Amino acid sequence: MTEARAALVINAFWPMVKAGFVYSIPLALVSFVFGILIAVAVALVRIVPMGGIVHRLLLGVVKFYVSAIRGTPMLVQLMIVFYGLPAIGITLDPLPTAVIGFSLNIGAYASETIRAAILSVPKGQWEAGFTIGMTYMQTFRRIIMPQAFRVSVPPLSNTFISLFKETSLASVVTITELFRVAQQIANASYDFLPVYIEAGLVYWVFCFFLFIGQAKLEKRLDRYVAK
Amino acid sequence: MLKKIMLGGIAALALAACGNEGGNSAAGSASAPAQEQAGSLLDRINNQGTIIVGTEGTYAPFTYHDDAGKLTGYDVEVTRAVAEKLGVKVDFKETQWDAMLAGLKAGRFDLVANQVSLTTPERQATFDKSAEYSYSGPMAVNRKEDDRIKTLADVKGLSSAQSLSSNYGEMAEKAGAKIVPVDGMAQALALVQQSRADFTFNDSLALLDYLKKTPDSGLKTAWTAGADQKLGSGFIANKGNDEALAKISGAVEELRADGTLKQLGEQFFGEDVSVK
Repeated sequence: MTEARAALVINAFWPMVKAGFVYSIPLALVSFVFGILIAVAVALVRIVPMGGIVHRLLLGVVKFYVSAIRGTPMLVQLMIVFYGLPAIGITLDPLPTAVIGFSLNIGAYASETIRAAILSVPKGQWEAGFTIGMTYMQTFRRIIMPQAFRVSVPPLSNTFISLFKETSLASVVTITELFRVAQQIANASYDFLPVYIEAGLVYWVFCFFLFIGQAKLEKRLDRYVAK
Repeated sequence: MLKKIMLGGIAALALAACGNEGGNSAAGSASAPAQEQAGSLLDRINNQGTIIVGTEGTYAPFTYHDDAGKLTGYDVEVTRAVAEKLGVKVDFKETQWDAMLAGLKAGRFDLVANQVSLTTPERQATFDKSAEYSYSGPMAVNRKEDDRIKTLADVKGLSSAQSLSSNYGEMAEKAGAKIVPVDGMAQALALVQQSRADFTFNDSLALLDYLKKTPDSGLKTAWTAGADQKLGSGFIANKGNDEALAKISGAVEELRADGTLKQLGEQFFGEDVSVK
């Protein structure tokens, strides 16, 4: 490696890490929290047997939402929210745009994970709850949800890790996130390989901490499981 | 049973903790910049507010980040000088070329400062241009061993790495080349270098700067337009901003008269680019 390349790689490090802390990580965290709230609501609408016309309507809405989000690229969704909506008088700032776009995206994908996790709890667990006099909601909160939560940790961790990396799409809505910083540096030097590899490594290191977090959480939730 | 309740409690607590944290930071991030969008460009100039300018930030030497990470370049510094003349603050928003004019049209930016010349009728119907602050011609670059391009007509059937919706993309298309879409000039040059495209059109100033900075790139000038084909670049705004653009053009002319443009040209290109 030449001296110029070494200097390039060294100079690129902090701006990238900083952009990661300032934009990529907060964007992923905030969007994930909102996304999970949406996902739980969507999953409940699809599972809880409420019946009635309102529920049927609601079911139609959430099915349409999940289908539309899963059926279109995130880039298209962000472009519609940021560059499309101003045409009908809705002008959102870059950060809210990204949070809304990412949350809606996570909401759709995670709702399927959560639905599957809830359905994975054996029916006998519900019956056990009812026989000791619990209501539907009590059984759900105290018996079903804790078990479903444990099951959903690996796939939801996957979703979060994907989301963290996909925050690189935020550059199209003028957010200078980690990868945009890499592009700025690479384009100014016309030297792509070292800077892009470095960007990849920085993402990887961030993800490594997420992997550790996932392992810890899994271990904790496994405490009471008979093996 | 008790254990399950505890487990449920922990899960709920964890969710609640995340929820609070998320809610706060989202509120913090959403509030600040919303105010700047209020009012027209003219209001902001008259009230000495902040104008929002879209630019790529990855197109040296017009708009790029220096070694210290600071946004600079000819277009950027001209914008800063104009803002100083008008007594306004300037807030640069960086995005990719293909999203930039879309952003201007959607009201994301007041102006775009990125070597835009408004060459096509479609763009002229949508946007207006201020007084021009730089003039330069198109140029084609290809690999040193490739001698297929001698005139503009020779590019017919060759592949050309271009940003979609750029002047040069349209130029390549018109000349009959196949477009390989890229994000900006640096990527276009990389594709030509890697033999994944035959050539690229771009601004002669930007390309000459590149060839000077990277003498071992393996690329050369394939074709240069005559002086009569020089295009003028200025600030681009949405239609209906005549009065504001007149003020901006006035500031550009003042900068031309007092030698600021000449000095900035010499700083970034070694020559005055503000004259035809």
